[in-house]
Amino acid sequence: MVGFPRTALRAGSLVAMILLATPSLAAAPRYTLDGPRSLLRFSFVQAGAASTGRFGKFTADVSFSENSLPESRIDVTVDVASLDTGDKERDDTLKTADLFDVAKYPTARFVSTKIAAAGTGRWEAQGKLTIRNVTKDFKVPLTFQVKQEQGKDVGYMTGRVALKRLDYGVGQGEWKSTEWVSDEVTVTFSLRLVPAT
Amino acid sequence: MPIRNSTTRWGAIAQLLHWVIVALIITQFVLASIADSLPLGLAKLAMLARHKSVGITILGLAVIRLLWRFVNPTPTLPDTLKPYERVLAKLTHFALYALLLVMPITGWMMSSARNFPVSWFNLVQLPDLVSPNRPLYDTLLRTHAALAWLLVAVAALHVAAALKHHFFLKDDVLRRMLPFTRTR
Repeated sequence: MVGFPRTALRAGSLVAMILLATPSLAAAPRYTLDGPRSLLRFSFVQAGAASTGRFGKFTADVSFSENSLPESRIDVTVDVASLDTGDKERDDTLKTADLFDVAKYPTARFVSTKIAAAGTGRWEAQGKLTIRNVTKDFKVPLTFQVKQEQGKDVGYMTGRVALKRLDYGVGQGEWKSTEWVSDEVTVTFSLRLVPAT
Repeated sequence: MPIRNSTTRWGAIAQLLHWVIVALIITQFVLASIADSLPLGLAKLAMLARHKSVGITILGLAVIRLLWRFVNPTPTLPDTLKPYERVLAKLTHFALYALLLVMPITGWMMSSARNFPVSWFNLVQLPDLVSPNRPLYDTLLRTHAALAWLLVAVAALHVAAALKHHFFLKDDVLRRMLPFTRTR
């Protein structure tokens, strides 16, 4: 019987081992948002005092792997009308035509175009942020880590970024003034991402 | 005029604090009524921000005023007062001092309860006294407004008594709180 050359067999198994051991280059795991355990907050200075609010409803479609950054992508859509600053009258004012104009622009969205490493456990997502139908290039520094929870890989993404509300037209008419409400708004997020099914 | 109080006359510091606080309280009524008349918007926000800053100023001055009172002699009440008038005078003064402290504190609590933190003239942000709580805010708003009217009533009594001393009893009670006057 002609035996399969042993060397070839060895070489073959070596290739198989390498293939199995190397992380997949093509696929970044895809995640979806665990809404109730995620937070999207904003803070601004009103009459000299830092005030905070949050968006109660938003969704995220995230593919992320530090080993396949070109395939990684972050896409977050916010239901602007879900804003909550702890005061109904202020919330109603924020939803009016001069500010977020939620009737006309119900959602805000960030879509990454490129994710680059920025240190251990840190990345920078470059992309486009759209608020009130105004789209601008936007960079979001973020941290990401995966934790094993009940046999599943759960992703935790956090970050903090500043933006200027007037760049997106959030403030028309008298609200263009920054004397009593700051132009700068800081957005912080803490997302719990579960594997998409 | 001496800086410190004597048993017959208020000193310069006590007079200055008294009259500055009077002017600030009048300012507070003006700012509050303008704010009340405005719809929710930037102008109202600005008016209320000033109202809060002035209120915190009054609170600070009231504390200084009380401390100054404790380390100074207090001019004595005239001997001509009847016992009930003495009690009434002390009660009125106690109520005025108490309101100088309680009015700003209830206002500050209102702001905290509504999640509108207080800043002093855009310079210092004050800590929140209570957590955001709408029903508590509504209660505090009614309390703050009721105390404002109580202040008007007590201040009216205070002014009426001062004028009575000056024009009817013709004593030094009003004059000793006025700068540039001579006491007999």
